[in-house]
Amino acid sequence: MADDSAASHRRDPIKSSVGNVAAQRRRQNAVTVGKERRESLVRAKRLCRVGPSADGDVPVEGNDMITDEEEFLLEAQTSSAVEDLKSTVAYQGKGAMQKRVNALRELRRLLSKSEFPPIEAALKAGAIPLLVQCLSFGSQDEQLLEAAWCLTNIAAGKPEETKALLPALPLLIAHLGEKSSLPVAEQCAWALGNVAGEGEELRNVLLSQGALPPLARMMLPNKGSTVRTAAWALSNLIKGPDPKAATELIRVDGVLDAILRHLRKSDEELATEVAWVVVYLSALSNFATGVLVKTDVLHLLVERLATSNSLQLLIPVLRSLGNLVAGDSHTTSTILVPGLEITDGVIKVLVKCLKSEHRVLKKEASWVLSNIAAGSVEHKQLIYSSEAVPLLLHLLSTAPFDIRKEVAYVLGNLCVAPTGGDGKPNLIQEHLVSLVQRGCLSGFIDLVRSADVEAARLGLQFMELVLRGMPSGEGPKLVEREDGIDAMERYQFHENEDLRNMANGLVDKYFGEDYGVDE
Amino acid sequence: MAMVVDYQHDLSFPYWTSTRRRFDPDSPFFSSGNIERELLAKQVALDLTEDERNQLEKMVAKDARGVFCPIVGCGARLISLEDFEDHYNARHTASCSVCSRVYPTSHLLSIHVSEAHDSFFQAKVARGYAVYECLVEGCGLKFKSYKGRQQHLVDKHKFPTSFEFFKKALPSKKQRQKNHRKQAMHKKDEEASSKMEVENETMDGLVSAVSKLSTSDSSPSTVSFGRRHTRGLTFVPRSVQHEKRADFRLAGAKR
Repeated sequence: MADDSAASHRRDPIKSSVGNVAAQRRRQNAVTVGKERRESLVRAKRLCRVGPSADGDVPVEGNDMITDEEEFLLEAQTSSAVEDLKSTVAYQGKGAMQKRVNALRELRRLLSKSEFPPIEAALKAGAIPLLVQCLSFGSQDEQLLEAAWCLTNIAAGKPEETKALLPALPLLIAHLGEKSSLPVAEQCAWALGNVAGEGEELRNVLLSQGALPPLARMMLPNKGSTVRTAAWALSNLIKGPDPKAATELIRVDGVLDAILRHLRKSDEELATEVAWVVVYLSALSNFATGVLVKTDVLHLLVERLATSNSLQLLIPVLRSLGNLVAGDSHTTSTILVPGLEITDGVIKVLVKCLKSEHRVLKKEASWVLSNIAAGSVEHKQLIYSSEAVPLLLHLLSTAPFDIRKEVAYVLGNLCVAPTGGDGKPNLIQEHLVSLVQRGCLSGFIDLVRSADVEAARLGLQFMELVLRGMPSGEGPKLVEREDGIDAMERYQFHENEDLRNMANGLVDKYFGEDYGVDE
Repeated sequence: MAMVVDYQHDLSFPYWTSTRRRFDPDSPFFSSGNIERELLAKQVALDLTEDERNQLEKMVAKDARGVFCPIVGCGARLISLEDFEDHYNARHTASCSVCSRVYPTSHLLSIHVSEAHDSFFQAKVARGYAVYECLVEGCGLKFKSYKGRQQHLVDKHKFPTSFEFFKKALPSKKQRQKNHRKQAMHKKDEEASSKMEVENETMDGLVSAVSKLSTSDSSPSTVSFGRRHTRGLTFVPRSVQHEKRADFRLAGAKR
């Protein structure tokens, strides 16, 4: 069978057309492929193109901008491979199993060759019921592995394609059991991970069919690709929006311990997937957050942030930290107490993220800082006197919009005392004066000018602080100097009533009739 | 030692309060990080170059971030937030050549010019003609008085009661200093034109108009599209500030 495919490739050069028509079609192809490619790249599903045991197979092809002819050929081959599989499944005679495995392997190769496997063709030819049969209990490992692999890649495509796996789910889950060989269990986990990555509906199906406990158990060993695949599949499975699965997961015996162990000792690739599990645990389940903060997880997260330079790892670790801080006031008030080593450690790694060149890290680190800055006066003093402030000030004037917005939250929070019981907004003049003197006002006024309602609101609120809180009535002059009046006057004809009222209110109060009268 | 100061104030302004912000995992706040995760995971398998990845990120981000111009009556679709400033400067900064007030549409600007600087307009008002136009394009109603029109805007078009079409000008400091100087010199002119003085127009406004004619500073020319307080390139277009990577490539971030 391998020879056939080699021969068919040799035939291609004759077919590839010369001239405008073909070039045009290829360009059009590139556009649709471009869009399809984008969609496929950002999906939470992953194609399996190389097996667990690199078995000297046909090497995976590189960048595939396949022509119409090639695509047609691939589809034809796929249909015929499914037909072959059908006959081998029916066949009961001598060597049936080997024939079946060969047919599966051929189908699997066709489904693993390119970035856009011929899933539709496979489904149309009736692959699913056959693959389900190949998963039956008692089948040989090789057969189970190849069948699960085919299903993995079928599930890696569009929503309707993934949904087609429904009949196979109970069997895939069953083969996660501890009696299965590791490669088989891993491949089944991979397929299930793709199914879970599709959406809430399928996740609920998987959860009700009992997929969570066996996957959780697969995360317990110290190392191995199986552990990593299981962790990834779990992160897809528990991502909600229903927090039930997350809460269930943290309750499984040994899971908490395994998570901590992996965060502490495992290699970066494994730690990355486990960190994503922590992201979803901390974002969705208050119970899980409560359990986690009682361990030394914060310390482990800080360690990773301090020592790693892998963006893949840093993103979920940072976000886990962020979720733990955001999810529970307990974290900031009792664990990250100013003066403790852990607190200094947190600020330090957040500063490291602010210095990073990566947009996501800068944005989310600012978010975490803004939540710490929403703590006690001591927290605000801690951040105010740290390395973070000069970095934040610089980001406020130079970074892309989404980062600037988060930075604004940090700086503003530093200037305002914790909201007292009576809701009176008191400000911390020392911080306000210093930050304004260091030039942050223009950054906030820029936010007032933006089309984003939240950002404009922030800008106006900060301007109010300046107008009210700068000593010796300096506020209005400073605002005027930075063209703040202009920025506020824009709101006269703005469609958002709240913003209009805010801006008008400030102008009326601080730039009324007597403004600038006595110079 | 930080000083916490207490202030008395009216409570109609939504003051800045420092509170924790939490996001759901599927919140748009996390989407760029999520996309990054998937791209990085497939990068090795697909051998994406750095360039390709950046392009993809930008494309995905663009689809998500289309925004509409929030100026009343505009509704223009903007590609991204960064484009808003350019759009605003191009479309919404019609400024009056006489008094430098800025309006977001040429329609409003022309209404302003008639009402504030046209003596014939004042003459018609005095004779009882309904010349105060409704500000909302397409309405077409006219009123005999400023207050009458104002009431119509509030009643019919839900404008806020605090809205003032003709607000007092807020001249810049430079302008005010000039005004104080010119005031002494042009007192005679002011007395002469006070008969034709427009409702609510300040002395400063008239003086600034006159002073514009005689000085040769960098004031904006007649129908200018820009801010009143020109300061050269105060505004660096957002597109230039995009992705300033050069400054932050420090050791910590290297792989």
